[in-house]
Amino acid sequence: MRLLPFLTALFVASAALADDQTVTDDAGRSVTVPEHPQRIVVMHEPLLGLPLIDLGVNLTGSYGRNDDGSFSTKLDFIDVVFGKGVEKPKGIGPFGQIDLERLRALDPDLIIGSELDIDSVDQLSTVAPTYLQNVSTGKTRGIDIERDLAKLVGREDAFDDRMKTYRARLESVRNSLSESLEGKTYLAIFLTDQINAVGEMSGAVQALEDLGYKRLALDEQGNGSGMGSTLIVPLSTEALGRLEPDLLVVMNSYMSDNREEAGSRQALDKILPGWENFLKPAREGQVLFLDSAKVTSPTVASALHTLDAFEKWSKTSSQ
Amino acid sequence: MRWTRALDRKVVYRFESGLEIRLHNLLAGIGLMLVALILAALAVETGATSTGMTDLLQNIFGSGLSDDQAYALWTVRLPRLLMAFLAGWCVAISGAILQSIARNPLADPGLFGLSQGSMTTILLLMVLAPAAPKILVAGAAMAGGLCVALLLIWLVGGERSSGLAIMLMGIAMETVLSSTNTLMLLYTPSEVSMGLSQWLAGSLFQSSWSLIATFLPAFGLSFAGIFLWGRALSTYDLGNEMAMALGEPLGRSRPLILIFAVFLNAAAVTAVGPLTFLGVLAPHIAGFLSPASGRARLLLSGLVGGILVIGADTVARRLAGDLPLPIGLSLTIIGVPLFILALRLQALSRKHKH
Repeated sequence: MRLLPFLTALFVASAALADDQTVTDDAGRSVTVPEHPQRIVVMHEPLLGLPLIDLGVNLTGSYGRNDDGSFSTKLDFIDVVFGKGVEKPKGIGPFGQIDLERLRALDPDLIIGSELDIDSVDQLSTVAPTYLQNVSTGKTRGIDIERDLAKLVGREDAFDDRMKTYRARLESVRNSLSESLEGKTYLAIFLTDQINAVGEMSGAVQALEDLGYKRLALDEQGNGSGMGSTLIVPLSTEALGRLEPDLLVVMNSYMSDNREEAGSRQALDKILPGWENFLKPAREGQVLFLDSAKVTSPTVASALHTLDAFEKWSKTSSQ
Repeated sequence: MRWTRALDRKVVYRFESGLEIRLHNLLAGIGLMLVALILAALAVETGATSTGMTDLLQNIFGSGLSDDQAYALWTVRLPRLLMAFLAGWCVAISGAILQSIARNPLADPGLFGLSQGSMTTILLLMVLAPAAPKILVAGAAMAGGLCVALLLIWLVGGERSSGLAIMLMGIAMETVLSSTNTLMLLYTPSEVSMGLSQWLAGSLFQSSWSLIATFLPAFGLSFAGIFLWGRALSTYDLGNEMAMALGEPLGRSRPLILIFAVFLNAAAVTAVGPLTFLGVLAPHIAGFLSPASGRARLLLSGLVGGILVIGADTVARRLAGDLPLPIGLSLTIIGVPLFILALRLQALSRKHKH
């Protein structure tokens, strides 16, 4: 009779093992993770958590969240990108001080970090398998992070559904345009206390390039590539004056209360007075203002927000 | 072995071997060890998991713990506690040594550029070989601190140099190296600079048994160094001429003692990052609690250093809540008021005597 519980335990254990997969993460580490993880903690909410929420995952924990569900910084990306009502993940300690006990109390079966967490990975791995996903520009493009994470957590079907929705929306926006955008160039800038060029990773970049725009090559103009930055790289005002993209995309800082057109114009006026008179896209009425918080996450949702804003702008500018 | 009185009428315990310790230093040492134990118990009680000293003692004597309790105590709290003490001990002793060599109460591994030298070589290593093993990082830290120390000795000109010259040259080196480090941080890839920024602010997050195992030789050697050079340092406190008159070979012993200070500081910097100002704080607070020289001063400074880091970390974890408070900052918040209080009480005591 004692054999029965033993065999049951053996069966449960082998079933659990069968549900695991060994994968190589972006840091080149071999990690054994569940095929369908149920309790995921992310170490970077905007870049790793939002793509998972877009795939329908309920995040268990997120670095930077407080215990009451509020976010440590002023802006709550979940509310902005997906609207109110999404269940908020729990916190694992303030920025710079990961609390391993709080992390373990969440009982995660997978921790997803980025290359920025390479120093913490040994300690995080004492709690749960830890997978590192590249998030920096130059290492990932558009919404590739969401695609990669969908594969990691066994949500490819959810990703395909999201892409179907996105492609349908993309087609409808393309059809509404009076001319083809193929081969036209764009430059996306992000305003902090200076001008920054937006890197290659974000829903906005995905949508603009899928519409037919080509990224203006900054390297050819002798500027930095932004390699290593997660989103932006500084761009001098002089360099911006010399660049002549067909479309200039302007985003105001996350920290600004006004990330819409009026606020972005005001911020750009302060950094580059008279820009409307000498920047080529401004003279030609080819300036698109986007809400940075809505469009910069590497998610289908951000790409859809970009398409919505682009369609609205193209209708207004063609009138 | 017997109790006697020194020339200043203070009670001294003399060993057969010639070693001696003053009663007030012995009592201060015992008192500090008790404080360290009390703070350690408080640190073991601090954390999200409901467990603490009672569970730990029961576990040591054979009783079982739940997985969560075992993880909290044996994987998180105890390594963190031990690492805090060991790092604080080493930095404080390093600071006390430098103050004797420089004959300047403000001397500190940070102020002399030794920490910055270690950081510069670690930054270079992280840029050139981001996946370098910990032992190589420790070697780089040691090499960086040592280069600064040797350069310092060479620049100030050997045994006849004054403490003020070492101090001023140290500040100059520190400034140059700090600027270099900032420049390098700006130009390293973000994944490297983010990790380095956290480490530069001081962090006990990486504390683990393996880290402690790599740190223990430094801790062990600190006792050997205290035994070997503690007495020499008490002659340094009297000034170069007096030290030489008492038979201290400055030309030989000063570089060796400086290398020892660099070694202790580099080990701590590698493990937890620079612990700003601790090298000044701990010896002064120790001196206020129980005036001492030589070996006793180093031992008491080490104890105060360890206590300050454990206290700072425990207070930060208990009170800061969701407020980010790196160990470097909490140490300043806890240590500086104590430092000011100690200096003020010392000043009042002198005024009262006169």
